[in-house]
Amino acid sequence: MSEVHYHEDHGAVDGAPLVELVDVRAAYGTIEVLHGVNLSVPQGSVVALLGPNGAGKSTILKVISGLLPPTSGEVRLAGRMVNGASADQLARIGLCTIPEGRGVFPNLSVRENLWMATMAGVPLAQVEETAYARFPRLGERRKQLAGTLSGGEQQMLSMARALSVNPSVLLLDELSMGLAPLVVANLYEIVAQVSQEGVSILVSEQFARTVLGIAQYAAIVLHGNITRVGTPAELEDELSAAYLGS
Amino acid sequence: MQTFLQYTILGLALGGAYFIAASGLVVTYTTSGIFNFAQGAIAMLAVFTYWQFRWGWGWPAPLALLMVLGILAPLLGAVLYQVVMKNLRGTSEVTKIIVSIGVMLGLQALATWVWNPTSSTPRQFQKFFGPNAFAHFGSLRVPWHIIISFIIAIAIAVGIRFLFVRTRSGVAMRAVVDDPELLQLNGGRPERLAMISWAGGSFLAALAGILIQPMIGSAMSAGALTLLVIDAFAAAMFGRLRSLPRTFMGALIIALTTTYVVAYFPSKWTWSSSFRNSLPMIFLFIILLVLPQDRLRGATVLRLRERFRMPSIRTAWIAGLTMMIVVFCLKVIMAKTGVNTLTLALTFAIIALSLVLLTGFAGEINLAALSFGAIAVMVVYHFGISGTGTEARTTLWGILLAAVVTALVGALIALPALRLRGLYLALATMAFGVFISRMVLTERTEREIFGLKFTLFPTGQLSIPRPKIGPIDFNGGDAFLLLCAGLFVVIGIGMVYLRHSGYGRRLTAMKDSPAASATLGMSVVRLKLSIFMMSAAIAGIGGVMMAAQVGTVNSDRFDIFLSLALAMITVVGGIGYVSGALFAGIFLIAFIEALNLMLKKFAVDYSSLEAIFMFFISAVTVLPATIGITMGKNPSGAVSDIVEGMNKVKQSKPLMITVIGLEAAIWALTATEVITNWHFVILTFANLILVPIVGGKFLMARAMRGVPKPVPPELIGIDRPFTDEDLAAMDQALNLDGVVIPSSTTLREEPANASA
Ligand SMILES: Nc1ncnc2c1ncn2[C@@H]1O[C@H](COP(=O)(O)OP(=O)(O)OP(=O)(O)O)[C@@H](O)[C@H]1O
Ligand SMILES: [Mg+2]
Repeated sequence: MSEVHYHEDHGAVDGAPLVELVDVRAAYGTIEVLHGVNLSVPQGSVVALLGPNGAGKSTILKVISGLLPPTSGEVRLAGRMVNGASADQLARIGLCTIPEGRGVFPNLSVRENLWMATMAGVPLAQVEETAYARFPRLGERRKQLAGTLSGGEQQMLSMARALSVNPSVLLLDELSMGLAPLVVANLYEIVAQVSQEGVSILVSEQFARTVLGIAQYAAIVLHGNITRVGTPAELEDELSAAYLGS
Repeated sequence: MQTFLQYTILGLALGGAYFIAASGLVVTYTTSGIFNFAQGAIAMLAVFTYWQFRWGWGWPAPLALLMVLGILAPLLGAVLYQVVMKNLRGTSEVTKIIVSIGVMLGLQALATWVWNPTSSTPRQFQKFFGPNAFAHFGSLRVPWHIIISFIIAIAIAVGIRFLFVRTRSGVAMRAVVDDPELLQLNGGRPERLAMISWAGGSFLAALAGILIQPMIGSAMSAGALTLLVIDAFAAAMFGRLRSLPRTFMGALIIALTTTYVVAYFPSKWTWSSSFRNSLPMIFLFIILLVLPQDRLRGATVLRLRERFRMPSIRTAWIAGLTMMIVVFCLKVIMAKTGVNTLTLALTFAIIALSLVLLTGFAGEINLAALSFGAIAVMVVYHFGISGTGTEARTTLWGILLAAVVTALVGALIALPALRLRGLYLALATMAFGVFISRMVLTERTEREIFGLKFTLFPTGQLSIPRPKIGPIDFNGGDAFLLLCAGLFVVIGIGMVYLRHSGYGRRLTAMKDSPAASATLGMSVVRLKLSIFMMSAAIAGIGGVMMAAQVGTVNSDRFDIFLSLALAMITVVGGIGYVSGALFAGIFLIAFIEALNLMLKKFAVDYSSLEAIFMFFISAVTVLPATIGITMGKNPSGAVSDIVEGMNKVKQSKPLMITVIGLEAAIWALTATEVITNWHFVILTFANLILVPIVGGKFLMARAMRGVPKPVPPELIGIDRPFTDEDLAAMDQALNLDGVVIPSSTTLREEPANASA
C-alpha cells in the first residue's frame, strides 16, 4: 500500500466528506472527458450523479475507483489523497465499486463470485451468510454460473458483494440498467438501508425519479462538468432542462 | 499381446507428457487469453538447457532438474509475461497470435545459435535412471521413465484441477479471463495472477519436453522439438482450451493412436512414418470439424488498439505507378544478384498480399501461406508447363489452374474453422502447413490411383520455369522482375478497389460486429470463406512466382517456419496495408540478405574483428523474431509509422520536392557509377526516413499546427470527440432527419419490459 499518499493536513475528520474530488480532469487517450470536477460525498449520505448519456458519470466513478488515473486534480478518500493508488489497493481499504452493466464474472458460479469478494478481507463464510440472507434466490443457485442468471439476479449478486464486504464507500453505476421498475425500486430500498448503516454512497443513474427518492444530494453532470449540486427538491427544474436539452 | 501392452504403456506415458504440455497451454490461455504458440519452443529450450547441465557439464540429475524446472523455466515464463504478453491487452487476436509466434521463432533461433545442430555430434538424451532401468511386471519390462511420466501427468492433472476449483487464487485466475477490471475492483491483482500462470505454463512446457525427448529417442533438433509439442495443441483443442479432463482424454487418444500406428502399420508402406508424424494434425482437424460453432458476440464492442486506414483508389494508383517507376530505376543500377534478390522479395510480397487480404478484410490469419504456394507449385509442375529443357515455360493456364486448385483446397481447410474464432483458423492453417511438409512434400514414391500414375514430389525437387504469357516471354531476369512488380501492383490495386466496393464494406461490417451483420441477414461464414479462397489463390500465384524465380525448389522452400516468419513480418509491417506486404517481402528476403552479405564482407575485411561480426550474423537470425515480439507496443505496424512520416512530406510541397530531388540525384550518381550501390542504399534510407523526420520537426512545426487531419467516421469518438456536426451528418446518413426521437427521460422512466 506504499503508493497511497497521506495528505498532510487532512486527517479523517468526523463529518468531513468521505470522498472528495478537487478540480479533477481526466482523459481517454488525448480526449479530455472531465474538465475540472469538484464533488464531495459526506459520510453516510447518498449522492446521485445525474446527467444524459455520455456526460461523464461513469468516468467520474472510474476515477474515484482507481481504474482511470486523473490527469490533474485530487481524489481524496477520508481526507487522504489517493491519486496514485490502483483499483485493487482501494478495494482492499474499503472502497466497493459496482461497475456499469457487468458486476459479475459470467463464467464463475455464484459462490465463486462471492469468493472473489473476499479479497477485500471478509472471510467467505461471512460473505455467503450476508449474501444469502439478503437474497435467498442466490442461495438456491450457488452452483449456477453467474452468466446464466437473469439480469435481475446478476444485479442482486453484484449488490450482494457490495453488502457483504463492509465497505465504507460504495460506488454504484447504473444499477437500473435493463431492469424492470419493480426490481429497481427494490434495489434502491436496499441502498437506502445500507446508507443508514453509515456507508457513503455515490450513485450514477439515469433513472432519476427513483434514486432521488433516497438521495440526500444530487449533482448534475453535463459535458464533463458538474453544473449544479443540491438537494433533490432544489434540482427539479434543472433536471428536466438537462435531460430535455432545452 | 506383449507388443500390444508394451505399446499401450508407451502410448499412455506419451499421452501423459502431451497432457502436461497441453495443460500449460490451458493455464496461460485461461488467465491471459493468449494462446501460447511458443509452448513447444519453451519445451525445446528446456530440453537443450537440461542436456547442457546434465550431460554437457555433468551435473547430477536432481540439481539439473531443480535448475531447469524450478528456476529457469518459471523465470522465463514470468519474464515473457512481464516484458511481452502484458502489453497485448486490448489488441486483436491476430496480434496476440503473431507475438507469441515471434517468441517461438526467437527461442528457436536462439537455441540453434547456442547449440548449433550441425557442428558437433548428435546430442543424446537419456531416460531417467538411465536406459536400462526397468520395472518388471511378470514378463513385462517397463522403463521407469515411462512409469514416472504417467504418474507425474496424473499428479499434474489433479493438482491443476484442485488449483482452479478449490483455491481462491485459482478461481481468481479464471476470473481474470472474464473481466480483469472487475477482479481489480474486487481487490485482486490480475497482472500478478497472469504472471504466475505464465511461470506455471512455462514450467509445464519444460517438464513435458524433458519427459518426451527420451521417449521419442532421436537426436535433439530444435525444429522437431518445437513442432512436437504442437501435437499438444490438438489435445488442448480437444478440451476446447478449458476442460482439463477432456484435454487429458484428447492427449491419450492422440498418443495411443500414434504409437499403435508405429506398432502395427507395415513398415514397408512408404507413407507409414509420415502418416504417424502428421496424425496429431489430422486430429486437430477433426476436432475443429466437430467443435460447436461459436456464439456470435456483438454486445461487447472491443476497442482495439489497431488502426488501419485503407487508401483511396487514387492514392493506390499513384503508389502503384510510383512503385513501377522505382523498380524500373533500381533495375537499371542493380547487379544481377540484386535483381534476383529483389525479384524474390517481390514474390514473397505477393504471398504476403494474401495475408493482408485475409487479415485486413476478415480479421483472420493464415499461418501457412507458403503451403498454399506449395500446392500451386505442384499443380503447375504437373499440368502447367509447356516445352522441355531450356524451352520449358510455365503457361498462363497453368497458373490460373493452380490458383483455382489452391482456392478450392483453401476452402476445404478453412470451412470447419471459419465457424469458430480467429485462433482456430490460425491453428487449422498451421496444422495444414505441417501436414503438407510432413506428408505431401515427402512423397517421392510413384502412386497409382484409378490407373493414373503420378509422383507428387519426385526426387524431392521440382523445377518450375519462368512463365510465357501470350507472346511475351518472361524468361529474362529483368522481364521477370517487372512481371512480379506488375503483378504485385495489380493485385494490390485490385484489393483497394475491393475494399471500396459494397462487398468490402460488408466485410468490414462483419469484422467489426459479426452479430450485427448476421442479424442484417449476411452469411458471415460465406463472406469469410470467399475471402479465404481469394487469399489462398493469391498465395498460390505468389508461390508459383517464387518457384519460378528460384528455378528448382525443394520442400525447405515451403517450410512452416518460413510461413510463420512471413506472417509475423507482414503483421509487423502493417497487416492492414498493401505496403505492409511489400515491407514483409523486402525485409524478410532483401534486407536480411543484404545485412548478412554486409556483415560477411566486414568479417572478411576486418579479420581481427571477425568474432564480433560472426556474432552479429547469428544475431540477425534472431532479428525478425525480436521485431515480431515488439508488436505489442505498436500493434498497427511499422508501415503506419512510416505513413505518418510520409504524410508530413505530402503536406508540404517544399519538403516533397527536396526529397524527390535528392533521391533523383542519388540515383543519377549511382547510375553513372560515381557512388556504389551500398552508398545508394544508405543514402536512400537516410533521405526517405530521416529527411521527413528532421524536416518535419524543424520546417513544418509551424505550418502543421492547427491543421487537423480528417478523421474517418469509424474513428470519430475515439480519435476525437463527437461534435454536433458529426451527429447531424450521421442523422443525415442514416435518414433520421426529421424523425422525432422521444426525449431520453420519457424513454427511461417507463421501460416497457426491459431485460438484461
Ligand atoms: N474507454 C473509453 N475510451 C474513449 N472514450 C471513452 C471511453 N469511455 C467513455 N468514453 C467517452 O467519455 C465520455 C463520457 O463517458 P461516460 O461513460 O463517463 O458517460 P456516462 O455519463 O456514464 O454515460 P451513460 O449514461 O451513457 O453511461 C463519452 O463521450 C464517451 O464516449
Ligand atoms: Mg455510464
